[in-house]
Amino acid sequence: MSSLEFRNLTVTFGRGEKTVVAVDAVSLVVPDRTVVGLVGESGSGKSTLARAAVGLVDARSGDILVDGQPATTGRRRRGGLQMVFQDPYSSLDPRMSIGASIAEALPSDVRRAERRGAVAELLEQVGLDPLLAPRMPSGLSGGQRQRIALARALAAEPAVLIADEITSALDVSVQGQVLNLLREVQRGLAMSVLFISHNLATVCYLSDIVAVMERGRIVEIGPTEQIVADPQHPYTRELLESAPRLGEKIDPEQLAVPD
Amino acid sequence: MSTTDIAEKMVDRAAARAGTGRGGLLRRLATSPLGMAALLVDLLLLLLVVFGPMIWGAAAEEFDVDNMNSPPTDGHLFGTDSLGRDILLRVLVATRLSIGLALGATAIGAVIGLLLGAIPAVAGPRVGRAVVAVVNVAVAFPGLLLALFFASIFGASPSGAMLALGVAFAPGFARLTQTLTAGVVGRDYVSAARVIGVGRLRIIGRHLLPNVADTLVVNISLSAGGALLAFAGLSFLGLGVQAPSYDWGRMLFDGLDGIYVNPAAALAPGLAIVLAGLALNLTGEVGAQLVGRRVGSARLPAKPATGAATSVADGPDGSPGADDLVLDLRGLTVSFPRGRGEKSVPVRGVDLRIARGEAVGILGESGSGKSLTAMSVARLVPDPARVDVQSLTFEGRDLSANTSRELRRMLGTTMSVVFQDLMSSFNPVMKVGRQLAEVATEHQGIGRRAALDRAIGRLRSVSISRAEQRALQYPHELSGGMRQRAMIAMGLMGSPTLLIADEPTTALDATVQRRVLQLIAGVRAAEQSALLLISHDVAVVAAMCDRILVMYAGRVVEDIPVDDLLAGPRHPYSRALLAAVPTIQTDRSQSLRTIEGRPPQPADYPIGCAFAERCAFASEKCQQDPVLEPIDNGSVACWHPQQGPVPGVVIDSPAVVSRQRATTATAGPVMPSHEPSRTRERGR
Repeated sequence: MSSLEFRNLTVTFGRGEKTVVAVDAVSLVVPDRTVVGLVGESGSGKSTLARAAVGLVDARSGDILVDGQPATTGRRRRGGLQMVFQDPYSSLDPRMSIGASIAEALPSDVRRAERRGAVAELLEQVGLDPLLAPRMPSGLSGGQRQRIALARALAAEPAVLIADEITSALDVSVQGQVLNLLREVQRGLAMSVLFISHNLATVCYLSDIVAVMERGRIVEIGPTEQIVADPQHPYTRELLESAPRLGEKIDPEQLAVPD
Repeated sequence: MSTTDIAEKMVDRAAARAGTGRGGLLRRLATSPLGMAALLVDLLLLLLVVFGPMIWGAAAEEFDVDNMNSPPTDGHLFGTDSLGRDILLRVLVATRLSIGLALGATAIGAVIGLLLGAIPAVAGPRVGRAVVAVVNVAVAFPGLLLALFFASIFGASPSGAMLALGVAFAPGFARLTQTLTAGVVGRDYVSAARVIGVGRLRIIGRHLLPNVADTLVVNISLSAGGALLAFAGLSFLGLGVQAPSYDWGRMLFDGLDGIYVNPAAALAPGLAIVLAGLALNLTGEVGAQLVGRRVGSARLPAKPATGAATSVADGPDGSPGADDLVLDLRGLTVSFPRGRGEKSVPVRGVDLRIARGEAVGILGESGSGKSLTAMSVARLVPDPARVDVQSLTFEGRDLSANTSRELRRMLGTTMSVVFQDLMSSFNPVMKVGRQLAEVATEHQGIGRRAALDRAIGRLRSVSISRAEQRALQYPHELSGGMRQRAMIAMGLMGSPTLLIADEPTTALDATVQRRVLQLIAGVRAAEQSALLLISHDVAVVAAMCDRILVMYAGRVVEDIPVDDLLAGPRHPYSRALLAAVPTIQTDRSQSLRTIEGRPPQPADYPIGCAFAERCAFASEKCQQDPVLEPIDNGSVACWHPQQGPVPGVVIDSPAVVSRQRATTATAGPVMPSHEPSRTRERGR
């Protein structure tokens, strides 16, 4: 069993009159072995929600629970939360070898002698050659880096994985590789995943349940098929209409161009 | 990706190739004259520090009672001091103490500074703020004043002075460390380390300091020169080294007494201080140069240069007549110098023809050369690049050689460019309205008042509310979507016959993207402009364009009408691109089709078809360069062109779908699916 639950979570930035409510009393459940997609546009608060879950941002009120217990991160305890970040060029320390980056995330009770083997296994799991371990990240492509970031998150043996816009910075032909990999890993390990993206198409492709976030609130949530086929909230409908479809022509808007 | 990014990355890569490994670093040091000099002087100083006192230590203490305060003679090159000791020998012996104390003080300052400076990055906000405040106050004091203050506290001894100087240097280092780590601490790998549960000290030691070390080391070695001077100053003031010990400052102090009898006694230690100070600074400078990723000196001119003079009058082959073409570009090559006479060529012989009113899309991934192609047309290729064309004709005029003012003016009114990078496209310190108006005053000679009125009108036409007020605001006061629309409004200030849009919607949300695309389409409809749209997104180019050029590894691999592309393109790469991107309609139960591997970098373009190593249809033949050959309504550069609809791709266009049905009957082999790499269950 591993589930993630946000209960009435509120995150604010600033003080006094300048307070911005980034996440507004959000309640959301990522059930066991399920991929929940969180979609919304920039500024909707989806990334803040993720950062609050892993403790990079402090919540103002509300609870974040893993299997009913307050969430933990880190390698001291297995079964916490881990996150894969958006920009693979910034999420790996340029001065640390790939192997060292992954090894750093291994649970602290993994013995020194076993670490090398564990790293090799993780690299294989994300479809990379274990011989890459001593290399520095500088020569690697975005797709390879994102695989390593995923391996690092998996190293900590999390109960729930949070993937925050993990394909946005990748090339089109590489995006698919990473999405497929995440799907395989999720199924293979029977993991729960919170998949965050502004791209409705990738969210729908990967998720069992889709939650739509707008201005800090979740405005609609439901099984993916239902959201796509029968959206209830106007914002969901707008997102669906705006999502690019192959073969559809853009209508030039009637523009009065005054001279 | 904007062109400047591309240029920067290439420069980075070039620098990286030039040698960042340790061996490469030393080699570079030894081959540059400055590095050579620094290396030599440092070696000399090191020898003096280590062996000086051993060799001359005793001789420097010998009294020559017959020659006290003697001016330079054959026996004593710089004369003697008041006890008849040889000045030159004493200067050489004093090297160890002088340099040692200077380095010691620098080290003390660096360690305290590093610790103080790194605290705010990992401590809580309250402690962090307190430390920053203390450091800020300390930085405000002049260093030498602080040193004097501490020297009087710690007492007039060499170690006291060293400590004093070290403490005085600390705030500067702390401030530097603070600034540098603040840039690193926001990066995702530090966040990732936190999420993993790495402790604070370990974050400082493993993630923060190593990533700012380059700059810090350079600054520390530069400061050592300063410390040397400062220490000499303290000794000279009597606060540093005390007799019978002596360093250069102390000798200066002693020598000054007899300056009229033997000026050399003061001159020699002075000279030593200057030379050693220069050596330390030189070392720092050389270090800074190595760290500062300098590009090789092989800079090529940025101006477009015409290759072999090809007559434009050759006329286009078949397709639209020369008069109907807005743009006729042939044989475009863009190259970047990579040092040592090498160059990388990210665009390799691209032809691009755009008919009047036609919308052409260039589709490609990063590094395919699509942005550089567009920027070459707009003549906006960044500096180290070299642009070569066989011919470039815009609106019937030869642009390849012409750089006159009249031409600039013509370009300003007939060609407009919408950039990808919003913030850098507007001048941040100029009001939006004025920037738009400038286009009209510069290129069309309209008065300022009238131009501003027109600017407000254009802003309104791109659906910017309260246009009068917005025109008086600065770019950062507008939202991203508004800035983008304002950029398009800027493109509208003239009546462009060609609108170039380079990834105009990449950074935008889907709803805003749609709006911006509608606006661009609207502009086209109203002005009858031709459009050159650059994007990595098949759906975007397909929605906007009549014809699409697919680029891969600096070449056009397919040139195809949009409906043919949707119905099923010919080139395996185009087909794979179409299949790789999930849309709302993509079947969730299937794995996504992927293209294994990644696009080659400009430096590693293979001979023959660049896509061959990722292509399921590749054969021996693909080692020869495929040429863009006409096929159906377009052309394709492939030895094994495919046909028929791409499996798994849902097309939202009845016309295309019915065409697909008609052709499926005669379709050849389809793209086989690549088995995605297997994932193993992890043992727990």
